[in-house]
Amino acid sequence: MAAPIVRRWFLVARKVPLPPLFLAGERGLLSAAYVDSHKWEAREKEHCHLADLASLMDKTYERKLPFSSLTISRFVDNISSREEVDHAEYYLYKFRHSPNCWYLRDWTIHTWIRQCLKYGAQDKALYTLVNKVQYGIFPDNFTFNLLMDYFIKKENYKDALTVVFEIMMQEAFEVPSTQLLSLHVLYHCLAKKTDCSWEEERNFGASLLLPGLKQKNSVGLSSQLYGYALLGKVEVQRGLRAVYHNMPLLWQPGYLDRALQVMEMVASSPDDGKLCAEALAMLDKTLNTLTAPAPAASEEQPQEGEDSRGSEDLVEQLDVEETEQSKLPRYLERFKDLHSKLEALGRVESESLLALTTQLIKEQLPTYEAEDIAAYEQKLQQWHLERVHLIRREEEQRERAKQEYEARRAAKASA
Amino acid sequence: VRAWADVRRESSLMQLLSRLPLFGLGRLVTRKSWLWQHDEPCYWRLTSVRPDYTAQNLEHGKAWGVLTFKGRTESEVREIGQVMYHDWRLVPKHEEAAFTAFTPAPPEDAPRCVPYPPLLRAMILAERQKRGDACTEEPMLNLEQTRVHPWDYPAKQEVKKKAKATPV
Repeated sequence: MAAPIVRRWFLVARKVPLPPLFLAGERGLLSAAYVDSHKWEAREKEHCHLADLASLMDKTYERKLPFSSLTISRFVDNISSREEVDHAEYYLYKFRHSPNCWYLRDWTIHTWIRQCLKYGAQDKALYTLVNKVQYGIFPDNFTFNLLMDYFIKKENYKDALTVVFEIMMQEAFEVPSTQLLSLHVLYHCLAKKTDCSWEEERNFGASLLLPGLKQKNSVGLSSQLYGYALLGKVEVQRGLRAVYHNMPLLWQPGYLDRALQVMEMVASSPDDGKLCAEALAMLDKTLNTLTAPAPAASEEQPQEGEDSRGSEDLVEQLDVEETEQSKLPRYLERFKDLHSKLEALGRVESESLLALTTQLIKEQLPTYEAEDIAAYEQKLQQWHLERVHLIRREEEQRERAKQEYEARRAAKASA
Repeated sequence: VRAWADVRRESSLMQLLSRLPLFGLGRLVTRKSWLWQHDEPCYWRLTSVRPDYTAQNLEHGKAWGVLTFKGRTESEVREIGQVMYHDWRLVPKHEEAAFTAFTPAPPEDAPRCVPYPPLLRAMILAERQKRGDACTEEPMLNLEQTRVHPWDYPAKQEVKKKAKATPV
């Protein structure tokens, strides 16, 4: 009687140390230690009255002088309610359009995003991020991770996707934790979406390609393949300029060719890299869609394409002997050969990309998180030192200005 | 006519840089006209940017950088000219290594020498005779000494501005 109860208690007791990933209700990918804002809250900040700072900034602006990055960072530090988030946005816009716009500090950007998330203004944070030209918000990796995790927790994958596209535009896929998180968001959205406009396909392609180039495992290789396939599809349907304009991509034609080169590399390399069946199926579907229905494609083209295709064809294909369109049948043959070769070698992974990514995250994210947290703490200290230096410099300048003013007044009084 | 297609297709340098953190310091930028004209890599590596803060999208301004033209890197920082032309492209970070890889052609062993044109040759021989120089060697022009830049080599920006002033 007692033994089964004890056994059940043992089982329950063993289940108790849950991994910190799985909290009840909201489930983010990053651990609680990462998202924890105590260290940030505990930093030293100057307590200033927001109304004073605002009036100071307005007066300096009227006198046509720029205000310093220290003023704006003090303002953002002392936000304490949702309306003040709006005020801060206005002053960030003003700072960006002042001569000091280059000097917007990292810690100000980090604090701005944290404050937005704290006061529930995540749509404002996203808006300033997307309009980065006007607001100058270029967060670092840690801040990007926090923002993405917040959206993943709220199951708001659409906004998380926008964040990933912004990271891609800024080419900020340096840190492995950002790469893993963004791949997770991308595969989640791809699994749900069936049809996308060509701009979305292009953004997906680039955002899959850039982290895929950095990750040296089967997820990375499959992401590269998937990315190249999507970009090749946009290239053939819309022209090369549509692919690389305003994107961090190269202007050399032949994205489908590069996809096939990835397959060749995997087939001939001695490492254990595998390619996902999903990605291969995507490339297959792309090649078939592009080769088969020629009349449907050519009907659309004369309607839209007079301006866009006419001058493009003239201008861009100067050196190209054959167009991508004509190379498609050869690509299809090469793909079939390589596909059968990969299957013969056993290099095709049958699990879905999302499952693979989730597994990779579970294995590797804790290590990367620990590194990130250590780097963040160091950065906090560095920012503190810089802030102290700036405050000291501002005080010295004020002293000097006062002394000069006194000297001038004494000279005028004596004259 | 050619400029309109470019204005529609490409972007000016500051339009590209306004979208980057720290206005793209340390990044490589190329010009589409260089990409079409030369095979060797030609690019600017940005060292300093001063955007015009009165512009709507911060899409005007000045920039400075180190030029690498046809594989040869200069040693000084210069102002980047023709910044407002709609001709610029940003090199993506993952492509930088491939883009800048350049193996210079092996230099020829003997410097190329070419005989002078006839009038100049006659003048040189006459001068030699006047000096009493009894050398009978044919006067040869060394082609390697004077390096002629191609027509689209970026000129120095500072020189242009200073030339205008005349004393009152």
